[in-house]
Amino acid sequence: MWAKLALKLFSREFRRGELTVICAAISLAVLTVLTLSMVTDRIGQSIAQKSSAFIAADRVLASSHALPDNYLSEADSYNLKTAKLTYFDTMLFANDEMQLSSVKAVSEHYPLKGELKIKSSLTGDVEIATKGPSVGNVWFSESVFYALNVKVGDTVELGAAQFTIEKVLVEEPDAPFNIFSSSRRVLLNEADIAKTQVIQPGSRVYYRQLYAGDEGDISDFYTWLKPQMQENQQWYGVKDRQSPIANSLNRAESFLLLAGLLGIILAAVAIAVSAKRYCERQYDPVAMMKTLGGSRTTIRKIYLLHLSMVCFFSVAVGLLIGFGLQEIATDYLAKSMNNTLPAAGVKPWLVAISTGVICAVMFSIKPLLDLFDIPPLRVLRRNLGDKLLVSKIHLAMSGVTVFLLMWLFSNNLKITAILFISTLVLIGLLFGLSRLIFGGGRKLGLRPSNSWSLAIASIQKRANANAVQLISFSLAIKLLLFLIVLKNDMISDWESQLPSDAPNAFLVNITETELPEVNTFLAQKDILVSEFYPTIRGRVNAVNGELVAREVSLEDNEKKDEEARSGIGRELNLTWLATPPAHNEIIDGQWFADGATAEASVEQSMLDRLDIKLGDTLTFLIGAQSFDAKVTSVRKVNWATLKPNFFIILSPDVLADFPATYISSVRIEAEQKQDFSELLRTYPTINAIDVDSFVKQISSTISQVSLAIGFVLAIVVLCGALVLISQVQASLGERMQEIVILRTLGAKGRLIKNATLYEFLLLGATAGFVAALISDLALFIVQREMFELAGKLHPHIWLIGPIAGGVFVAALGYLMIARTMRKNTQGLLRSLA
Amino acid sequence: MSALSQLNIIQVNGLSKTVSTLEGDLPILSDISFNVKSGDSVAVVGTSGSGKSTLLSLLAGLDQSSEGEIFLDGEPLHSLDEEARAALRASKVGFVFQSFMLVQSLTALENVMLPAELAGEQNAKQQALELLEKVGLSHRVEHYPSQLSGGEQQRVAIARAFIGTPKILFADEPSANLDSKNGKMIESLLFDLNQSHGTTLILVTHDEALAQKCQHILQIEAGKLVKDTSEDVANVG
Repeated sequence: MWAKLALKLFSREFRRGELTVICAAISLAVLTVLTLSMVTDRIGQSIAQKSSAFIAADRVLASSHALPDNYLSEADSYNLKTAKLTYFDTMLFANDEMQLSSVKAVSEHYPLKGELKIKSSLTGDVEIATKGPSVGNVWFSESVFYALNVKVGDTVELGAAQFTIEKVLVEEPDAPFNIFSSSRRVLLNEADIAKTQVIQPGSRVYYRQLYAGDEGDISDFYTWLKPQMQENQQWYGVKDRQSPIANSLNRAESFLLLAGLLGIILAAVAIAVSAKRYCERQYDPVAMMKTLGGSRTTIRKIYLLHLSMVCFFSVAVGLLIGFGLQEIATDYLAKSMNNTLPAAGVKPWLVAISTGVICAVMFSIKPLLDLFDIPPLRVLRRNLGDKLLVSKIHLAMSGVTVFLLMWLFSNNLKITAILFISTLVLIGLLFGLSRLIFGGGRKLGLRPSNSWSLAIASIQKRANANAVQLISFSLAIKLLLFLIVLKNDMISDWESQLPSDAPNAFLVNITETELPEVNTFLAQKDILVSEFYPTIRGRVNAVNGELVAREVSLEDNEKKDEEARSGIGRELNLTWLATPPAHNEIIDGQWFADGATAEASVEQSMLDRLDIKLGDTLTFLIGAQSFDAKVTSVRKVNWATLKPNFFIILSPDVLADFPATYISSVRIEAEQKQDFSELLRTYPTINAIDVDSFVKQISSTISQVSLAIGFVLAIVVLCGALVLISQVQASLGERMQEIVILRTLGAKGRLIKNATLYEFLLLGATAGFVAALISDLALFIVQREMFELAGKLHPHIWLIGPIAGGVFVAALGYLMIARTMRKNTQGLLRSLA
Repeated sequence: MSALSQLNIIQVNGLSKTVSTLEGDLPILSDISFNVKSGDSVAVVGTSGSGKSTLLSLLAGLDQSSEGEIFLDGEPLHSLDEEARAALRASKVGFVFQSFMLVQSLTALENVMLPAELAGEQNAKQQALELLEKVGLSHRVEHYPSQLSGGEQQRVAIARAFIGTPKILFADEPSANLDSKNGKMIESLLFDLNQSHGTTLILVTHDEALAQKCQHILQIEAGKLVKDTSEDVANVG
């Protein structure tokens, strides 16, 4: 019988809209978690798959020494796919021409991830190849064809063996993005290495083993491999590499994680507020039911059934909408990226359901327990039970729940703790501040016939309730501003790396005599060209007279990145400039003054690696000549930009007499490809590195991630709006009473309307201002610490915050009480009764 | 009147209620004793703050006394726990309040059926409909409280009070929130139903005229019972 009554009460309460906000908040929490988890899971898998193509595998084991074959056989037992790569430079001979080229010998299954793009002739169409050349054949990049003056089908000598040129190599997934590496690339079958006899003791050879498979299997294999690894062996995945894609991925992951966490906090606040309000509105019915003989057990059963139904219904709706939304989102993303996304696993469902149930139960249980304690005597003493309104236990439980949810979702205790504690500090500060603001205006001599006076009096009267509202509004506005600004900064940072006219090819090895001709050629063909940098290869031989240990440096570099490996310990590409490159930042010392002599500007990481200090003297060795230069500045270089970057830049005087070659970047449009080929044919010694596909791949990944971020942001905005709605709704009862009193006393409708509007306006604007200040401060820290972006302040949001907060909260509050305002005094009295 | 109806349905002996305040214990009711016979109508009168509503809450088992005994239809209310008192109310007591106290999300009919449903009764609908007809609201059964006037809401509350045919009806200022016409209608309804159902009526009121319509009057002043007309009657008898 109680169940029938419970269902009846539930359906009526639901229809009356009493449960709308709480259900919507739970659904939104579930929806946020499900959508976010599924979209990030699916995009993450897709991006990981795409990213893996950058290294042609999931993981790579690299060394400058031969790698044991038993690693590969052991990997088989872990269900991993494997391939072997061997890199070396050698001379090619054909038609009396010879050319130094970079050879990559590949085993049968290469590439494990990504595709090889080839052409059957220089003018043929691009085709996809799933494996490398067969035994006895080689593939050449276009520039090798020009340098050797050969065509497909010709024979070429490589070491002691002869090979047939089978294909034109257009693109390798794992081609090194290093503008100083050779663009003359040769692909060879690994089985042919021996017969070339080019690898001799002392040869400079690099070895790679590629691995691909399930993350779990890879992890198990690495557990086995790690103890066997030698110091010269390095294990890495795509995320470990210093590349624009890795940075973008890491930042996007951090952002989505942060957005998800903030969404959950907002939904949790909305649930807590609306659950408390719902329970408070049930105080009278419960007191009445107890008076009419309803036992505590019956009442407990009725409301626990309500909670279960709210929970079930909201979680189901959240899952349904969440699944639909993520399908739409991923479908849209997949179409826009011309890609299919892998299916999500079961984990997002479990996390979403747990979130919904935990939110529903934990944020409702204390108000519900209070509700069960409402004494029947409340029917006679109307304020009985109101002392339960402020509950420290509820606050503590809500706090613990939010913490656990954040931890569950982020799986990262550190981020959870930082966000949680900073939010607590923020709440404390806001509470103190709001008391100060609401208490400080008491002495203002305002007349009661004025709307502003009524608004301020109303704010002061409900100082505590308004403090809570201010905190909620501020928290919601702060989190929204925080995410919007962070998103814009992050995306504009990416876009600044890849502007629409970003270079898509590099020209390397241009001689002094070729320089004017190349310049003229590019100008005639309308090819956009950036600055020409002179370069010369040399090494840092000593620091303050102390010789640099090459092997140590090499080892160290191998643990860093591609750029570094080819730099220190061996030859570096040195340049000399009168002005610093625009994309470099001087972080210490001074750039060369006019007429500076023998000075050097060193890149930050190199400074740290070689333990160099400002003022140290570096000894350089170029060929047999050596010279000294004093370190006068330190630069921060963004290696993610597609522009030539240098570890060391020297003052113009030092290298003026050395023979240099020049490097520059160009923008080749589709219709200029023929002209570009003509340039390479005319000047066969110039190396051209085409990074167009690389740029496109990064752009595509960034757009994909940006879309995902925008989508998540929209959900978080909804959560924020729900917090505001639940807070305004929570204060409606008291406001209605005031409106009735004022109306009964003859106050004009306009006066009351304006007073309400101004009250919300003041609350929203104050909340917006505080939120803007605090979110900007938090942004400054988070951008530096989590996103490795330059921390900066955004004064425009100090203005936007209060305006947006005031307008939004006022509009929302006004709309919500508009219905009340339309009723006549009698109607209001009746609805209050 | 039958011999059974003349039994004391309410017996109060040495009832006191004290509440704790910051200034110390504050006596609300002191040493009150009286009896009410079954089927009688009793008015509890007194000035504001005299302790009338506290007495009502103790008699109905909504609150617990500090000292003394209350027997409700022979049940020792003073020694029952909250659950047992609720069960006793469910089976023997009806209420009418000044502020109607209807559940806003239930219709008039459902509000009337509520006590029966809480007591686990399956077939209360017919009785509820009959009661609503008696109070003149057969055309308003599906209306929600917010769609009814104050007088109509109080009539629903009266119909609810009589569902399950309670032995005792407690009414706390039932006409105080109503205009005089509606007030009169409510009062006559209460007395009619009291008569027709043989229900004992305990009525808390400020209204002298209304109190005079009751068979007996209990006057409370400053927490003390200063007048009990039933004793006068007994003494005369």
